[in-house]
Amino acid sequence: MSTSASGPDVAQAPATPATAPPADAERAAQRERLRLLVRSKTFIAGVIIVGIFVIFAIFGEALAPDDPFATDPLDDLAAPSGEHLFGTDRVGRDVLSRVIVGARDILIVSLTATLLGTVLGTALGLVTGYFRGPIDDILSRFIDAFLALPTVIIGILAIVALGTSKITVIIVIGLVFAPIIARTVRAAVLQEREMEYVAAAQLRNERTSYILFAEILPNVMGPVMVEFTVRLGYAIFTVATLSFLGFGIQPPTPDWGLQVFEHYGLISGGYWWPVLFPALAIAILVIGVNLIADGIAKAFER
Amino acid sequence: MGRFILKRVLLSIVTLFILSIIVFVCAQVLPGDVGRSILGPFADQKSVDALNEELGANDPLPVQYWDWISGVLTGDMGESRAFRQPVEDVIGPALVNSAKLALIAFIIVVPLAIAGGVWAALKEGSFRDRFVSIGGLSATAVPDFVWAVLLIIIFALTLGIFPSTATAPPGSGFFEQLWYLILPALCLVFVLFGYIARMARAGTIESLDADYTRTAVIKGLPQKTVVRRHVLRNSLLPTIAVVATQLGYLIGGLVVIELIFNYNGLGQALVEAAQQNDIPMLQSGILIVGVVYLVATLCADISYSVLNPRVRLGAEQ
Amino acid sequence: MDPRQQRVDAIRARSTELENHIIDEYRGGKIGRREFVRRGAVVGMSVPLLTFLATACGVSTEDLEAEDKPQTAKPKQGGTLRVGQQQPPGALDPVLVNSQAGLTILGQTGEFLIWSDRELVPQPRLAESWKPNEDGSVWTFKLRKGVKFHDGKVMDAEDVASTFDRLADPDNTSNALSAFTGVLSKGGAKAVDASTVEFHLDAPNGNFPFLTSSDNYNTIILPKDYDGDWEKTFIGTGPWKLDRFEQGVGITLVPNRDYWAPGRRAVAERQEIVFYTNEQSLVLGFQGNEVDVVVQFSVSGGKALLTDETVITTELQSAAHRQVHLRTDKEPFRDKRVRQAMALLVDRRALVDGLLDTKADFGNDSPFAPIYRSTAEVEQRQQDVAKAKELLASAGKEQGFSVPLSGWQGFEMPDLAQLIQQDVREAGIRVALNITNQATYFGEATYGNSPWLDSTMGITEYGHRGVPNVVLGAPLKSDGTWNGAHFKNKRYDALVEDYVAAVDLDEQRRYAKQIQELLLDEVPIMFTYFYYFLSGAKDYVAGVETNAMGHTDVSRAGFT
Repeated sequence: MSTSASGPDVAQAPATPATAPPADAERAAQRERLRLLVRSKTFIAGVIIVGIFVIFAIFGEALAPDDPFATDPLDDLAAPSGEHLFGTDRVGRDVLSRVIVGARDILIVSLTATLLGTVLGTALGLVTGYFRGPIDDILSRFIDAFLALPTVIIGILAIVALGTSKITVIIVIGLVFAPIIARTVRAAVLQEREMEYVAAAQLRNERTSYILFAEILPNVMGPVMVEFTVRLGYAIFTVATLSFLGFGIQPPTPDWGLQVFEHYGLISGGYWWPVLFPALAIAILVIGVNLIADGIAKAFER
Repeated sequence: MGRFILKRVLLSIVTLFILSIIVFVCAQVLPGDVGRSILGPFADQKSVDALNEELGANDPLPVQYWDWISGVLTGDMGESRAFRQPVEDVIGPALVNSAKLALIAFIIVVPLAIAGGVWAALKEGSFRDRFVSIGGLSATAVPDFVWAVLLIIIFALTLGIFPSTATAPPGSGFFEQLWYLILPALCLVFVLFGYIARMARAGTIESLDADYTRTAVIKGLPQKTVVRRHVLRNSLLPTIAVVATQLGYLIGGLVVIELIFNYNGLGQALVEAAQQNDIPMLQSGILIVGVVYLVATLCADISYSVLNPRVRLGAEQ
Repeated sequence: MDPRQQRVDAIRARSTELENHIIDEYRGGKIGRREFVRRGAVVGMSVPLLTFLATACGVSTEDLEAEDKPQTAKPKQGGTLRVGQQQPPGALDPVLVNSQAGLTILGQTGEFLIWSDRELVPQPRLAESWKPNEDGSVWTFKLRKGVKFHDGKVMDAEDVASTFDRLADPDNTSNALSAFTGVLSKGGAKAVDASTVEFHLDAPNGNFPFLTSSDNYNTIILPKDYDGDWEKTFIGTGPWKLDRFEQGVGITLVPNRDYWAPGRRAVAERQEIVFYTNEQSLVLGFQGNEVDVVVQFSVSGGKALLTDETVITTELQSAAHRQVHLRTDKEPFRDKRVRQAMALLVDRRALVDGLLDTKADFGNDSPFAPIYRSTAEVEQRQQDVAKAKELLASAGKEQGFSVPLSGWQGFEMPDLAQLIQQDVREAGIRVALNITNQATYFGEATYGNSPWLDSTMGITEYGHRGVPNVVLGAPLKSDGTWNGAHFKNKRYDALVEDYVAAVDLDEQRRYAKQIQELLLDEVPIMFTYFYYFLSGAKDYVAGVETNAMGHTDVSRAGFT
């Protein structure tokens, strides 16, 4: 990553080839990446998809045709029609409205959880990758141990112990993702620390925290961003699964996983709409996020 | 080589130890009074206290940890409160069931995904490449419970080909049990295909670009031979790593599939245990899942190094 | 003199005062023929005798027989019947079972003294007959002779007495204590001779036989030397025997070839009970032909079954309900006007017609379900938003308030919670839901350790029972162990004791009316509906008999 193409007006330093390019070159490289991103079809498609859901999340109630909480038990499980484009659910609420407004919670929860995990994981990865030695060995064992735990089960444990709430879900997912991200960051840091600019900083007697966060971190942002977007997809998935298992967000929140959970037993009776639409929403959102991740990964590969 | 394996094994054991501590601590977090949950709501407090004392619930944590861990190593994992049986009697069959399902899923998905990935990579950027990549991506993005429900509706309820449950009636033979496992295995195939295919594809592309491949092509070897001899072997490497990591998910994380298909697997048992604050079951169950995962990754690491000498001789990772 | 009249006179001459009183009620047209048979059976008159008297003294032309033959096709011998139900929580221990899933299993290999059928008529099973003394404080049961347990030993009075002793013993913490506390104590059941048992009650009780029936599902008769571990043998005297029990998967039962009632020997060759973790997978499994019979399903979860033409659904009016308790000793429900307002805000019609597809009776905020004969005529509470707002204003709560509502994820209860949440929104009341799972909601089931008993507002499921005694007691009496509303009202306690002791229907109705009116005024618990018990069988199966409790008798069931 640090050996990316330099811009046209870079001054060639008389140092060895493993020097990090000067600031201008770095900025030029970034511009190049952005240009690639913007041209990438997958990236654009992903942004559009996710963008639509973000709009849903922000303007949900205004866009929804009905109050997503308004029950009408006498009109329950009505098939899609002019009045209810996606039909009604088992207590008579409009499915379309619930799908639209449901974007908010899942996006907030998964975004926050992934951010938390990324921040923690990056810090962890920086530390283990840079220091090596006993700290690395011990922490790496911890990370490996964490990786061995099944995410969903840990999530359920935490929720049973701490109660169902958005905060619990966010913290749990964040904590479980941190080691995974740490691994990737660590691998990247291992490469970076051999670079001359690190040695130079060490020679200058810079504080360790400076080296870690001001020197190394910017150069591993690539993999960090890729990991972030990939994990985001998993987070959405996990939040939906936890809700589906009855351990997630409380009713009557229009959470997509919860909606599928409430209605999947009814499918065999022909009531497909309360399940299909939220499920599609989950799938499309995750695909969108993955497309973005793909785009970013490709841009940083160059 | 021997030293490498030994080192890896030792590291794994350390990880395992740390894992057991983490699991123990996590399980302790659950609320609930041991004695009360065994004796039930109407029992008087004195009996509950007496039972707690007898079960060692008031012992210091390190003592409790040692009791548990020494028990696990000798095969005695305590009494499950949710199932009212020794934990090992619950975990045993559940683990076997999960293993059966995982095995069938793997047998289907691994060759399929590797073939798909390699096939896509051979014509990188082409339509079929896009198709495999995006198709795989979309399949993975769809949550497993959606696949499960869709497959049940189409194949079990509407077409009536496969049963809607994964549990064959007691006393079924091998092939009958297999039949019942096909639909849930298919769900897993959809979920895993994209990931494995992507790895295989990436590995193939990388090795197609590699020098030794170019040399082989220059030497005049037909593409098929090149693929078979060099590329396949190297695309196998990342795939092995992926397969190993997915094993943890397949053994303990299949809660949703097991729920919908009414299958008595380990994920199901763990959720049931979590819902009923069954600490002995949770502790040992999660530990087992972790052990499976670590053993799988250990084997993956070792076979990875066998296939790729550069790893074990090269820079420490 | 007319020989029939002679016979009637002879019968009346040797009948007790109580029995004559019941005959008089019937002759005076106060109770119908069906109710006459029922009342008479409770106090121990035999059904043939009652049928004769009903015709001889009869004024109404109700046909008693018509409703008892729901199945028309005759099932063939043999085959394996697969029955689907939810996984029973906890161990299968006759002393401790407290779930519908568990009780259905108990009733397969185990048997009761009395069977409470779908008409709430007590039918003799292991008891041949029973009689109360003058004031209903001692009940004498005559046992059937020659009945054998599955291990070959003959059942006698000692077995019965020890069974009831075990259940009434507080040290055993049996679920049956909810029925026996204050009624029967340890030592109250005495074996008089090999086939006679006397129950010496703590207080006179007009409905005692129901407490020895299938309604009190823990009372399957066990051998006197029973020492626990029922899951190993499933020991009992019933028409089915244990073949195999697989934890978490299911149970295989085979017919008991030595069963005492030849008319109820098993038709099928084998019964397999299959466990499902939740209702959705149960419904899917049933539709996928994994099982032939579904023990119970709810309207919301089983909609697919209600419209499926290959499924025969049985709807039984029942007393099963969901209690929504409002803690009377805590804000915001301390003032009874607030509680009345809550009850007035709920749209019961939408619940009954919408949520339950009309398969329920209206609930009028008391345990007195329409199915009970002792239920008095009291005006049905309807939704009245204006009045509710008035009451809230007079209690100083016109701005509304927030309150948490606890419950667990089962059947239609989360739907009920969300509907109530919407209904009360109109008055500015904000309900925050806390729906968890069964284990978390019930916690340790003791005050201070259980959301069920500690929450300000909670939803709890109650199964059907043949008489309202238990539901009048445990959740509502000052010393009740299930009193989530923390309702402590001395007048109420006294009225309930009077009701329980009353043997005469009129007397029961008088007390019931007072209780109903008191509860309508105080509203510690909202009873919004009594739902019908729904069970299902495939159209190729005949002979399945269920009652509203969940007991599923498939001994005469088979494939057509």
